[in-house]
Amino acid sequence: MFSTSVLPIHILDATKTYPGGVEALRGVSLECAAGSVTALVGRSGCGKTTLLNLCGAMDFPTTGEVRVSGQDTSKLDDAGLTHLRRNKIGFVFQFFQLLPSLTALENVELPLLLAGAKNTEAKARERLGWVGLDDKCESLPYQLSGGQMQRVAIARAMVHDPAILVADEPTGNLDTASGDVVLKLIRRAADELGAAVVFATHSAEAAAIADIRVRMRDGRMESA
Amino acid sequence: MKLFRRLILRPLRRDLMRTLLTLIAIALGVAVVIAIDLAGDAAAGSFESSMTTLVGRVDYEITANAGVDETVLAKLSGLPVDARFAAVIEQPVVVEGPTSSHTSTVLYGIDVIATGTGLSSGQESGDLETSAVVSSELAERFHWKKGDSITLRGREQSADFQIQAIAPNQNTGWIGIDIGAAQKLLDFYGKVQRIEVFVGPGEDGAQVEKLIRATVPPSWEIETPGARSEENRRMLRAFRWNLRILSYISLLVGAFLIYNSIAVSVVRRRTEIGILRALGTSSRGVLLIFLGEATMLGVVGSLLGILLGRGLAAGIVGMISDTVNALFTTSTPGALALSPLSVAAALLTGTTVAFFSALIPAREAARIAPAEAMRRAVVEHQARLHTGRDLLIAFTLALASYGLCQVGPIEGRPIAGYAATLLAVAAAAMIAPAFVSSLIGALRGFLKRFLGPEGLVAGRSLVASLSRTSVVVTALATAVAMMVAVGVMVGSFRETVQVWLNAQLSADIYMRAQGQARAGIFAPLASPVQGLVERTPGVDSIDVLRALEIHYEGLRATLAGARTDILQRSNTFRFLKGDAREIMASLPGRDRAIVTEPFTEKHHVGVGDVLKIPLGSGVAALTVAGVYYDYSNDRGMILVDESTLLKYLPGQPVNDIAVYVKQGFDRVKVRRDIDDRLRDYPVLIAPNEFLRAEAVKVFDRTFAVTYALEGVAILVAMLGAANSLLALVLDRRREIGLIRYLGAARGQVRRMILTEAGLLGFLAGSLGLALGMALSLVLIYVINKQSFGWTIQFHPPFALLGSALLLVWIFTILAGVYPAQFAAGLEPAEVVHEE
Ligand SMILES: Nc1ncnc2c1ncn2[C@@H]1O[C@H](COP(=O)(O)OP(=O)(O)OP(=O)(O)O)[C@@H](O)[C@H]1O
Ligand SMILES: [Mg+2]
Repeated sequence: MFSTSVLPIHILDATKTYPGGVEALRGVSLECAAGSVTALVGRSGCGKTTLLNLCGAMDFPTTGEVRVSGQDTSKLDDAGLTHLRRNKIGFVFQFFQLLPSLTALENVELPLLLAGAKNTEAKARERLGWVGLDDKCESLPYQLSGGQMQRVAIARAMVHDPAILVADEPTGNLDTASGDVVLKLIRRAADELGAAVVFATHSAEAAAIADIRVRMRDGRMESA
Repeated sequence: MKLFRRLILRPLRRDLMRTLLTLIAIALGVAVVIAIDLAGDAAAGSFESSMTTLVGRVDYEITANAGVDETVLAKLSGLPVDARFAAVIEQPVVVEGPTSSHTSTVLYGIDVIATGTGLSSGQESGDLETSAVVSSELAERFHWKKGDSITLRGREQSADFQIQAIAPNQNTGWIGIDIGAAQKLLDFYGKVQRIEVFVGPGEDGAQVEKLIRATVPPSWEIETPGARSEENRRMLRAFRWNLRILSYISLLVGAFLIYNSIAVSVVRRRTEIGILRALGTSSRGVLLIFLGEATMLGVVGSLLGILLGRGLAAGIVGMISDTVNALFTTSTPGALALSPLSVAAALLTGTTVAFFSALIPAREAARIAPAEAMRRAVVEHQARLHTGRDLLIAFTLALASYGLCQVGPIEGRPIAGYAATLLAVAAAAMIAPAFVSSLIGALRGFLKRFLGPEGLVAGRSLVASLSRTSVVVTALATAVAMMVAVGVMVGSFRETVQVWLNAQLSADIYMRAQGQARAGIFAPLASPVQGLVERTPGVDSIDVLRALEIHYEGLRATLAGARTDILQRSNTFRFLKGDAREIMASLPGRDRAIVTEPFTEKHHVGVGDVLKIPLGSGVAALTVAGVYYDYSNDRGMILVDESTLLKYLPGQPVNDIAVYVKQGFDRVKVRRDIDDRLRDYPVLIAPNEFLRAEAVKVFDRTFAVTYALEGVAILVAMLGAANSLLALVLDRRREIGLIRYLGAARGQVRRMILTEAGLLGFLAGSLGLALGMALSLVLIYVINKQSFGWTIQFHPPFALLGSALLLVWIFTILAGVYPAQFAAGLEPAEVVHEE
């Protein structure tokens, strides 16, 4: 098998207590391999978003160990985390995905620009093509449908070939048809681009595309 | 009440920073208006205070050009009315110090018997000749006590006086002595400055006035002291109006800020409004919430502003009164009086400005449909652009502004010019949105290439919240424009004055009597001085100036006699029209005069017109031979040849002497020589360079207040920039969080906001520069010309302007530091999910 150090996501007995005293995670462990898709399901407030934030190097655990792309996030400072996110992680959310003032292409290009990459426009174009929106490059977000916006968001999340794709209820706000398109893209991100995908969802249909389904309750995992 | 607390106070508290910045902006705006008004009032002064202290309440004053003939007193005293008449001499005098340090001050010679002043109380009449009253200001300055002896120096001799009393609560220096002693000291017989009239109780004042008029020559003036202060106020009117208008600019900039602040509040509370509407609040109710918010800000801000303004006034009253004395009229700064009326007016002004500035955004809030607000509006910033319509309005406004510039003054005030300024600002405001979006559009490639993603996002988000950005840009641009316009005006003026000074001060050495260098006061030189100077080796020729203050058509002016042949040789004057040589040559021996440009502007006279001026016992009819440029003061001057003046006023003393040094002689040596010869006389001797430097110094001091006002307007605009950037950040919290998810470091977020600040500064700077250049033309050719009558040559001080603009730009970027810090400190995980 893989040695643990190269696993894109490796979480061991992590807990997270928010400043107010809410224990959002009470000891979770999770391993995601490259090219795999993991779905997090469970009631509202069970800790899905919190766990995704740990996977995405957005936050540290209170106790336990979180390794993202082999790096212990607790040992990184803000700059280190930023660097990690920039190079290894892509994010997709339910709402407010795109910067309303930038065109679709510019939105996709942004992570590359922020990372100081070269050839940004060509790469962004290619990724937009990958989600099937070559013709929407110059559109502003308000000129796109919800499903299209989400596809742009996925293109943006994958534009820098991240090792990890983190998606928080990516279909939560979409009708079934658009949701299906988005789920297919998520699957392809793992299959074609080799990312380790973790996503949270409330829908069983969505969870069905995953290789691994994790059910959570009150900050704990019920089944692996 | 509960609703008020929840819906108005709580949001204000929640956005403490925005509230605070807005409050400071209103407070500063109101403070400046109050300060200028108070300080202006105080500087315009209490013109009767010292006389009232000395002689009590005066009912009428009798004055005449070149002084009142004393013999009329006997005739007046014979009038069958219950009134007393007292002659008064008011002249500069020198107080001898322990070493050779002399001080000059004002000497009042008063008729002690007729006025029954404190000078004589308890004293024997023998002491009267040597008794003096001094003002508390003077006493404090020199540590004089009652009973001390002081030495006063007149034109020919000195005399000792004993201080009998110190007049309390005086804020200027003066000394009062008996009129007989004053005449002796000053060698000033036969004439007095004025006669004070005290009407007895029960006597009819109008009747007394009628009888006096029948007794004195018709050209003499009989006025109440109030009328005299009224005249002073009239002279200062244009000056004070201009200051006042400048002070309103800060308030105008403040108004943009309130507009902005309320607009932010509306955007931020969109959802809340929707819920309130859904719960049954009427659209009127929503309107009231936001107007209430603005009114609260207005009231509190104005109260703060009033306190601040009172303090500020104390700081600038000195500066303003310097200007008043240098350029307009001699006045004593009065006390700063914050009347309940002006407090109420300030409160009303601040609150009204706040209320009306909030009207547009509040109405927008009221129009929000409940459903619309509840919906998640992804494009809530997407400005509805009406570029074409806006530009058309801007064009029309600009055209109207241009038209107004062609209108002449109204009651001596450039009202149309002010209106033109306002319209020009409005035109700029209408252009702003199109300007912002097209300039950022043009900079697009540049921003992305050189400033990377920060530049890209910064530019875009400014355009995305275009309506808001435009308001900030307009506010900042207005402040910048004012800075540019005034800067260009003052710079041009300064250059013009310098060129003029170089021609004007063509002699090598100048001298005048020690005494106050104030508009309207001309201290006479001791009579031997002229001869001593003329006989100094190395002196080629001298010009002597005899000047006096006269009334012409109800306004004060200066009448002076000079040696026009010498002036012509040195080519001193520049005339608006005509050949200088011919004009100057036509003056000697004839009743002809040349007048300054401000004089013609004030009195609407031109070449060929005849000025009828009562002088001495007759009336001089002087034909205007030419109009010359002069920037020495605002009151206007009539210049005749020495011979003409002496014909009407024989024995009029010399005030100034200008010395031309012979070729081949060392000017410094000649000056030392003159210094030596005049050691015993209180004369100020200065080389021409010194006078030039002094004149420029006075000039710069005069505009110090203007610069201070500009500073405040810029400060208010900076606060606005900080406030708006903060609003932009608060508004875009989620976006900023998102960008962090996409891999932006804190530093990049910080740079993004600073870039926005820099862009705002750049946009405002360029719009402000364009507007300011246009306004400077209005200032120079319309407002200044109509207010003061000076022709100013257009000389923009480019280096100064450039550095000022750069400074403003840097400050705008600094205004972005706090918002940038705030943005960088946002926790992305929290803000992205927040709703
Ligand atoms: N920043 C925070 N500070 C304090 N408590 C928080 C914070 N974020 C989340 N929580 C709490 O932690 C718990 C888990 O929240 P989390 O957002 O992870 O749930 P979730 O499973 O994503 O829910 P949902 O399905 O509604 O999105 C909740 O009780 C929530 O109230
Ligand atoms: Mg969640």
